[in-house]
Amino acid sequence: MVRSKLLFAVAVVLGSSAVMLGTVPAARAADPPKCEPDKLAAKYPSLVGKKVIIGQDGESPPYSYRDPKDFNNIIGADADMVRAAFKCIGGQFEFKLGGWSGLLPAVIAGQADVMWDNLYFTTERAKQVDYVIYMLAGTGALVKKGNPKNITSMDTTCGLTATAGLGTVEEAAFRDQSEKCKAAGKATINILTYPDIPAGTRLIQNDRADILLSDLAIVDQLSENNPAVFQRGFKVVSDFKIGVAMKKGNEDLLKALADALTVLQAEGVQKKIYEQYKLDPALMQPIAIQR
Amino acid sequence: MKGRLALFVVSLCLGLILLGCDNRSGGQGAPGATLSQLAGGGSPVGQGDSGWLGELLGYVVLPFLLEGALLAVQISVLAMAGGVLLGLGLALMRLSSYAPIRVVAWIYIWFVRGTPQLLQLVFLYDALPGIGIKLDTFTTAVIGFALNEAAFSAEIIRGGILSVNRNQTVAAASLGMGPLLALRRIILPQAMRAILPGMANDSIGMIKGTSIASVIFVNELTFRSQQIVGQNFKFFTVFAAAGVIYLMLTSAISLAQSLLEHRFNHELEPSARGASSWRRFVGWGPSWLPGRVAAGAALPAGVVGTAPAIAAPRPETAAERSAHGLLWREHLLAASAPQADDEGRPFVACYNVCKSYGGREVLRNLDLTVKRGEVVTIIGPSGSGKSTLLRLINHLEHVDWGDIKIDGQYVGYEKHGPSMRPVGDLAKARADARIGMVFQQFNLFNHFTAVQNISEAPVQVYGEDPKKARNLALSLLASVGLARHADHLPHRLSGGQQQRVAIARALAISPRLMLFDEPTSALDPELVGEVLAVIRRLAEAGMTMIVVTHEIRFAREVADRVVFMDEGSIVEEGTPAEVLDNPKEERTQRFLRMVERAETVVDA
Repeated sequence: MVRSKLLFAVAVVLGSSAVMLGTVPAARAADPPKCEPDKLAAKYPSLVGKKVIIGQDGESPPYSYRDPKDFNNIIGADADMVRAAFKCIGGQFEFKLGGWSGLLPAVIAGQADVMWDNLYFTTERAKQVDYVIYMLAGTGALVKKGNPKNITSMDTTCGLTATAGLGTVEEAAFRDQSEKCKAAGKATINILTYPDIPAGTRLIQNDRADILLSDLAIVDQLSENNPAVFQRGFKVVSDFKIGVAMKKGNEDLLKALADALTVLQAEGVQKKIYEQYKLDPALMQPIAIQR
Repeated sequence: MKGRLALFVVSLCLGLILLGCDNRSGGQGAPGATLSQLAGGGSPVGQGDSGWLGELLGYVVLPFLLEGALLAVQISVLAMAGGVLLGLGLALMRLSSYAPIRVVAWIYIWFVRGTPQLLQLVFLYDALPGIGIKLDTFTTAVIGFALNEAAFSAEIIRGGILSVNRNQTVAAASLGMGPLLALRRIILPQAMRAILPGMANDSIGMIKGTSIASVIFVNELTFRSQQIVGQNFKFFTVFAAAGVIYLMLTSAISLAQSLLEHRFNHELEPSARGASSWRRFVGWGPSWLPGRVAAGAALPAGVVGTAPAIAAPRPETAAERSAHGLLWREHLLAASAPQADDEGRPFVACYNVCKSYGGREVLRNLDLTVKRGEVVTIIGPSGSGKSTLLRLINHLEHVDWGDIKIDGQYVGYEKHGPSMRPVGDLAKARADARIGMVFQQFNLFNHFTAVQNISEAPVQVYGEDPKKARNLALSLLASVGLARHADHLPHRLSGGQQQRVAIARALAISPRLMLFDEPTSALDPELVGEVLAVIRRLAEAGMTMIVVTHEIRFAREVADRVVFMDEGSIVEEGTPAEVLDNPKEERTQRFLRMVERAETVVDA
């Protein structure tokens, strides 16, 4: 809790950009983007000779995690999309793994170029970074097998102990809900934050928390892999959009990623990767730059 | 530092070999279990089947985790080295006599200790690029942890320095040692015992604490194990394996702490400091370990060693006297040989000396002269300013007003109008003045043997050849009847023996003037004689001396002149016959009556 506030404070202090909102279609009908890795210098001159640093956390399956066959390798839907995108762009990249909550401050400070790690779009974050939107967020509630507390929606969480990732929108959602419970004269929610998903699942497993709110794919995979322990309480397909974030002012990089993702989506590569990692392809969003 | 790193590696390897054996005997899978086996997809969280031990050990030897451990060690070693150096500087700043320097150090420590380290790391990593300083992950971690450690170790080191008796600093200063030399040779070695446990705590804390640096992309042990858990959810075996690796690393630090504490244990004779640290580390050990024999021998030796110390001193043999007496006398006379042109000029000249402590006047308008070769004893009640006068003469403390010259020279002052102003390099001025001082509490350097105590100043201050200095020290020890105690530490000597070593130590700098500050006051009555005998022989050898004493009989016997002081000024002075037998002043008479009564009680 303290940590997320500190990091948020740092992020705000570091930021200097003005609020800029608005969606710009990345692909113009007249000129559909193509994968032309040979034309890197002509299309995105500032990426020539540059190794783009991609920040991920490496501990969030199915988006970014260590390959069980070789721990030095990063796999997952986000990681595979990075590889496909840079193959299309023709540029070089490098993964840099760190705690999720440190990724965005690092991008804002220029210690990493891109945060590509299941990052939701918020207007607050968009004051600091530009997004290329590629997916809609689904939220899942992980509960103990048999759903002993009968959790079927956010409205049923009043008076319970809930857990969410530190500094995430899910944490904020619980705080909102807790206020609503209070307003309705019900008991508030006891909110615990976890530093990483495995830590959160242990809270549920050991009955320290009743509900864990996280990304839908993560929750589904957890309940599928541990059917004796967990199940999904409910799901919400929210209107939260997920995007690739980079510091404002990197126009070549922004355009390159938007172009590449547009091609990957059009050619069905994104769908293929999502199916491979058991993500619902229905969550895919039209590629768009959002500032 | 290199040695410490080597220790880590050695202990880590040993641990791995042990665990490897365990694993084979248990028959639970080869130590190098394949990753796919370890990761084994789809297994439920917290599985409890019998394969968990093999799985755990497989993670312990997993290169992916060991690389993370190595990174934690590298960061910790570099950050500790930098942090301790910075911390020493900060500790000295905190002890400075200049308030602005103290304040700067205080503010640094206050700020760094008072803010979360996570925030400091994020600031270094993510805020400094804003002003054009872009540090990489490893450098940020090293600098971040070092800056943080500096604040904590500064307080540990300061505590260590303060734990060393101030007498040690005063004694070093009286021998002409500068502040840095005294710090390096005298204070820090003795402070180490107090410093080491805290430092070991910090090292262990740092090794484990590097995990918070995952927020700045440091992929060390904890973060790597979290990543494995994130992928296969086997948190029990993976975190237990990380725990085992951490335990091996921190065991290495505990072992190093034990070794170093033994090294800096100044209550052990130097020969015993080589004893095995294994026994001390675990509290026991097989008898064939060298440490057991050495440590076992140390105890009876210590008990036996105190016996002769308490017994009456062995009288010097005639052979010793003739062998060493000459060298000793030559050494002294060489230093105090009179110059041709100083006939009639007083050797010590104090004029109108004033000194106050916080508004309390200790010395007021005091005049005193001492001729070359003269022995002056100062008597007087406690608090009359006798000891303060001695400390002003060799400039252990500044005079407030007045003028003190030794052989026509100021010691560490330059004349500035009517007053004297201390010079910058006071230590050199004291060394050049060659004034030996003997203290009431002996003030021997506790971590040095008798002979090291004596040779320290000649070697470190006057740059003499160590071998020559040791020979001189041995002959001085022989001349005070302690040839057989050359390699004993002060705590194994009786008070009288310690004071005789202290006299030999003062003599080793070839003093032109000897100051004795109540040299027998801290001694048991039966030990007073042996010290007075040494002082008496110095007087016979023609040494110029000022002796503050309560021994009236001794004063009568040895002094050329007796000075009676009371309330910061000289009440009466003259030959022993004048002052002690026919005192004119009422205050002198009263004091002598009181002392006589006390002596009668002691004699009875």
